[in-house]
Amino acid sequence: MPGRLKIQRPSPTTVSFTVSNAPQRSSSLAKILFALQILLRAFLFLCVVVVGITLLRHLVFEGDDGFISWPLVWSSTLGSKLCCLVDSYNPLAVAMVSALVIYCVFRRGYTEESLLVIRGFGIQTSTSSATYLSTAATRFIPTTQIQDIVIHEAFKGFEVRFYLAVIVEGEPNAVVVFPHTLPKREILEQVWRGSRRCLYDAKS
Amino acid sequence: MPYNIASVLPLHKSRSLANKLLVWSVTSSFLNQVRCLVFEFHLTKLTLLGGIESHIYQLSSKLIDRGHKVIVITHAYKGRTGVRYLTNGLKIYHVPFFVIYRETTFPTVFSFFPIFRNIVIRENIDIVHGHASLSSFCGEAILHARTMGLRTVFTDHSLFGFADAASILTNKLLKFTLSDVDHAICVSHTCKENTVLRASLDPLMVSVIPNAVVAENFCPLSHTTTRAPDQALSSPTDPPMSPRIIGPDDPITIVVISRLFYNKGTDLLIASIPRILASNPNTRFIIAGSGPKAIDLEQMLERNVLQDKVELLGSVRHEEVRDVMVRGDIYLHPSLTEAFGTVIVEAASCGLYVVCTRVGGIPEVLPQHMTTFAKPEEDDIVLATSKAIAALRSNKVRTDRFHDQVKMMYSWRDVAARTERVYEGIIGDISPEEFYGYYPGQGWDASGDRVRSFALVDRLKRYYGCGVWAGKLFCLCVVIDFLIYVFLEMWFPRANIDIARSWPRKPPARKSLDNQ
Repeated sequence: MPGRLKIQRPSPTTVSFTVSNAPQRSSSLAKILFALQILLRAFLFLCVVVVGITLLRHLVFEGDDGFISWPLVWSSTLGSKLCCLVDSYNPLAVAMVSALVIYCVFRRGYTEESLLVIRGFGIQTSTSSATYLSTAATRFIPTTQIQDIVIHEAFKGFEVRFYLAVIVEGEPNAVVVFPHTLPKREILEQVWRGSRRCLYDAKS
Repeated sequence: MPYNIASVLPLHKSRSLANKLLVWSVTSSFLNQVRCLVFEFHLTKLTLLGGIESHIYQLSSKLIDRGHKVIVITHAYKGRTGVRYLTNGLKIYHVPFFVIYRETTFPTVFSFFPIFRNIVIRENIDIVHGHASLSSFCGEAILHARTMGLRTVFTDHSLFGFADAASILTNKLLKFTLSDVDHAICVSHTCKENTVLRASLDPLMVSVIPNAVVAENFCPLSHTTTRAPDQALSSPTDPPMSPRIIGPDDPITIVVISRLFYNKGTDLLIASIPRILASNPNTRFIIAGSGPKAIDLEQMLERNVLQDKVELLGSVRHEEVRDVMVRGDIYLHPSLTEAFGTVIVEAASCGLYVVCTRVGGIPEVLPQHMTTFAKPEEDDIVLATSKAIAALRSNKVRTDRFHDQVKMMYSWRDVAARTERVYEGIIGDISPEEFYGYYPGQGWDASGDRVRSFALVDRLKRYYGCGVWAGKLFCLCVVIDFLIYVFLEMWFPRANIDIARSWPRKPPARKSLDNQ
């Protein structure tokens, strides 16, 4: 999915470029589907938690810990059925399927990368992580270390792609901005112009 | 009309096969025809594939000057990979490949296609121009370009024999490359004859465009650089500069610059040096170059104790060649096979009298008064060199005029203009009658089958004629290539490929170039 660019200018000396390949949900149907997706994720997460507790009932969730009376839970109709169901499968397989479901529940499904430019201060690149559990990977480059910002081309897989790179003083490799989404040339040119204007052009 | 041209070239000219070449000896001189052709040609746009780097660089710069856009596609090698720009906005794609051993790449019949298609689309290429024949890279690029519906040109820089196994294989490969090409360019008429025979081509589809030299880089010592260029052009009518007088006892220096390989005639050189030195006192040799025959050469020097008369320089870089050449009076070129022989043009441009073997395209290169020809055998080389020394001693040869004469004969601008006409012809900017010639009442039509259609059936027909088994194999390759193309169009749609920006350039100075 091609990336889309979002520009934010909270102040004249600050600009943030965000490239995201998340699907655009403009129609009401897409919004309803998105809400359903969130509900499904929540439900799946709940299921995994319940199955996990059932699996570990002999180890942790045995006695009455004063909060929930576990023997009562396990002896109830629903509880005993659940125990039968979980026990009928190999515990290892259950654990693996649970892990997979957890990954799917927290998987982001899209990449969002941004470039934040603050005049006189520096720029910060960030790449969203693959899951909702970890934070974005960021890199800050102070103005004094920025030698230049360039657009160049490189071979990637079976293609030649444009990329925006920051040349940092004292580093052998350039820092690629938007390394995963690699947006189209038009977007890169917009970002390149905008960031250079913000960094170097005193009038804007 | 400006064109976008992609040049494809292999960076490493393979010499392994060249060692097994047959000697090509063709005696007729085509020089006069070559000179006539010079001003008949014009140019369009192209893609170059292949390996003669300086040829491509010079040709590309001149094509860019004429308003075309040229990109070069070549292999990546150590320290050079990715996309680079040269002066003038010449863009070079060093395509990375899976390297098996040293610089040898895996034969990538189809794996090159996706990236080639991507480059061609993003650069809006109209013509693909392949260089050199030994590289499978070039053949592949031409095959893919035809599958994509582009016009193709192929330039052959080498001569080949017909008899040994390696040649037969190479010739089949060449036939595969040339079966579907729109036009071929050879560097000399001998080379054209060779290519037409090897690839069973229609001779009208092969043009001869020689190489050129940058004459400014090969000035003789006496040449005053302060002279204005327009003066230099009209120099034959100028009051002659006082020529250097060589007395009967003055030393004569003979320069040899070549890689020391069998096909460059190093064995002939080794055999004739002692005899030349024995029969001509006050003669010295300067030999530059390296190669497997260097040891034989050194052994000969030690056996005959000639170290004080023969100076071995080892390999010299191309920019140092002129400095070596101007130290001599005669350039000896004992090559056994040569498609064109740019080096003898460089030598003549430096004001050296040239002694060369009458092989390949060499007789076409320089006019009679600049050269002495020899048969590629020891006795004749000794004889010809002695004749040349005698001619210089008698001050009959005006070597001081050679530079300006060579400058008039060879220029890259001219090569570019002639190449441009080939492009115009295959693109259809000039009519087939004008391009291939119009011969009414001859019972055949010059434009007949020469405009190559892109229909798959027509292409398969052309490939099928390549041989009993080879024809079927080639057809299979073409069909697979076509299927891959269809697949690529679905998997990597054209719409998703970013179009690269062209190098910003000044308006082409084409009119003033044509007027000159």
